[in-house]
Amino acid sequence: MQDNQLRLLMFLQDLLMLKKEMEDFQVVEKYEEMGFDLEKKEKIEEAIREVTGQLDAELHHRFQMIANKYDRPLAPVKNGICYGCFVSAPTGSELITQRKDVIEFCNHCGRILYQPGTL
Amino acid sequence: MELKELFNSSNVKLALGSEEKDDVLLELISLLKLDEKAKEMLFKMLKKRENLGSTGIGKGFAIPHCRSLVVDKLNVAFGRHTKGVDFNSIDGKPANYFFLIVAPPVEISNYYLPVLGKVAQFCKSTDITAKLDKLEKVEDFLALLEEAGN
Repeated sequence: MQDNQLRLLMFLQDLLMLKKEMEDFQVVEKYEEMGFDLEKKEKIEEAIREVTGQLDAELHHRFQMIANKYDRPLAPVKNGICYGCFVSAPTGSELITQRKDVIEFCNHCGRILYQPGTL
Repeated sequence: MELKELFNSSNVKLALGSEEKDDVLLELISLLKLDEKAKEMLFKMLKKRENLGSTGIGKGFAIPHCRSLVVDKLNVAFGRHTKGVDFNSIDGKPANYFFLIVAPPVEISNYYLPVLGKVAQFCKSTDITAKLDKLEKVEDFLALLEEAGN
């Protein structure tokens, strides 16, 4: 359950990044110059709603709170370090012990943590 | 970064076997070294990107691309489909040549858009489809990238 929620959060962050790109006139112009058709770029909102609808409400609320503060509410943990703020994750962190069924937050910056390569 | 530096024998497939757009995406994703859940997430993200407008840029080329948390560095793949697959391309014609480009949300070197631009430019090279059709092995593809100055 939590594992699935974490993947949904990751997917949501990817979609929000794509939305941000689609709102950047210069980036869209670059894509169009390359030959890409972005005629339906407003459909990104629909995709975001779809994913948000599957998220636990409390978790989504927390995600939004973090998103208000940082561009990227999720951060990878590598070698026990949060790559959002570059501070070590707490000793005994479930992420350090490789458990995949918990959602953890960085004690320092509050970002949602994930381990790349162990989705 | 030059395109030839990104491709190798494991991320190039000159005989894609899929017949449908989604299956081509899955076949291209399978060329990347990712675990099953990451592949699944990447597929969903590429599909969402396709919904905004097909990445089939016409003349037989498609360049599916996205940024995703499932990768921690720029990943690319190339596939060729002899017969061609309906990819909802802008010219309405089937796509035969596929470049998959996936990047993490943040890259130190910020290669994503420049690489995407180089691939798009490569696809517009003179006689490129004839040259791609003649490829017999992966090394030929790498040599073609080098020849094109990419």
